[in-house]
Amino acid sequence: MKEIPDKNILLFRSCLVSVEYPGVESSTKFVFDKLGINYAISEKQTCCTGLGHYSDVFDQVSTSAIGARNFRIAKELERPNLVMMCATCYAINKKSVKLLNKKDDLREKINKLFDENGLAHLKYEKGDLKPTENIFHVVDILYNKIDEIPDKIKYDLSGYTIATHHGCHYCKVHYEDTIGGVRDPRIMDDLIEACGCKTIGWYDHKRSTCGTGFRQRYSNRELSFSATADKMNAIDDEDVDILVHLCPNCHIQFDRYQHLIGEREGRKFKAIHLNITQFIALAMGGDLDKVIGQKAHTVPINSIIKELKEVEK
Amino acid sequence: MTTQKITDTPIEFAEDIISDVKNSKEDGVLKCVQCGMCTSTCPAARHSDYNPRDIIERVLDGDISILKDDNIWNCFYCYTCHSVCPVGNSVCEVNQILKQFAISKGIGYDKLYEYMGFADSYFTAAIGAIPEIFFEDIANDVPGWWEFRQNLGEIRDELELEPPLMPSKEVIGEVSKILTITGFKDRIDKIRASQEEKNEGDS
Repeated sequence: MKEIPDKNILLFRSCLVSVEYPGVESSTKFVFDKLGINYAISEKQTCCTGLGHYSDVFDQVSTSAIGARNFRIAKELERPNLVMMCATCYAINKKSVKLLNKKDDLREKINKLFDENGLAHLKYEKGDLKPTENIFHVVDILYNKIDEIPDKIKYDLSGYTIATHHGCHYCKVHYEDTIGGVRDPRIMDDLIEACGCKTIGWYDHKRSTCGTGFRQRYSNRELSFSATADKMNAIDDEDVDILVHLCPNCHIQFDRYQHLIGEREGRKFKAIHLNITQFIALAMGGDLDKVIGQKAHTVPINSIIKELKEVEK
Repeated sequence: MTTQKITDTPIEFAEDIISDVKNSKEDGVLKCVQCGMCTSTCPAARHSDYNPRDIIERVLDGDISILKDDNIWNCFYCYTCHSVCPVGNSVCEVNQILKQFAISKGIGYDKLYEYMGFADSYFTAAIGAIPEIFFEDIANDVPGWWEFRQNLGEIRDELELEPPLMPSKEVIGEVSKILTITGFKDRIDKIRASQEEKNEGDS
């Protein structure tokens, strides 16, 4: 397996995590602290351009120029390992690093613009960052510490039926770097097993999109919800209690719209939606309000998790 | 049956895609064998008339009318096609390039109007945000969401997180300068002008 860092990490702020599921950020910090992972956050770092990029409003040069600025911030802090809480930030930043390293004309164009406009301090030199060695998702960092997770588990969540939804922009975009499989993605299933639980493993539509589709959710809703319904029906057929996510886009699509899609399908879907860091933080004893951030959730976490039982040591 | 020689094929369109900055698959588009794996795994093909295999066929036929085809806007950007293509092509990426071609020709501006709020907030405040134009829909669809957003500061405080970040003047200055020199601002101004023209025409 590729080498994964546990230090010199810049934890990349996600605009969606910040305002929709802040508990993902606090849970990431909680779990990172428990596992001795050294990280920092920068107030200077800005959004990856996410929804702007994938609604086609941003062009690639603008996205990569914004990326170059963020990469410079990481280098200056001597934290060249960018770690993303959002799958889309992960895909966009990894692509920008690849393009800036490989496409001399793109890099030179951006650097020339920076030079001519008083931004020479932001210039990106070829190889400043490496796509495989420096650009990670939080799950990669956790997977590297998977053997240390079992000792830190406080609560037994093994009584619930658990399934995973691996975000497309983690698994499918830069598939050569994806840990734990692309066709049957398992990185989160393995992490959940390290918490003393079993997942249902493969299910119909396991590798399907959440249906967000960026512009589809807002501008083409029927199409978006049709795709989500495929997956929600498959999950409910398996009687899933907890669906575990790694991307705030998917998290919004499932948690915020579950009741609406349930009405559309004539079914009452019950699953609660937790990010993998929230799941692990909860298993490690994180408080539902002070760490997990349950108030941000639309499907109440306590509709499924009514009491927490300590593991027998 | 007609025989098509490789030299007859109008591949300039495909070559434009290959040389586009976004393309990361080298000449993958030329390797397409029309197997249809992309279409058979595509969520947009399952639920609409979007057909990724057909997109590549039209590209290889040099059919630039595809830029005006509304169906190209149905792609989810889920990269499923990209991850299963047996010859290393990516219809998902080709689709994104087609849309950038369309936009550069002034086609499809109307598909971007609703997302101008994202551009504005990034340019003027260095914040990536769900455009406010969608807030009413979200508030109607998602019980408790509006109240949650109003209490976001308190919830972040309880989680011992800083208040939602307001980037400094220095950061905003740098970001808006970058987005001016890359041509982003001009592009947004053009789209906005067309939107205003349309609104005047409608009223």
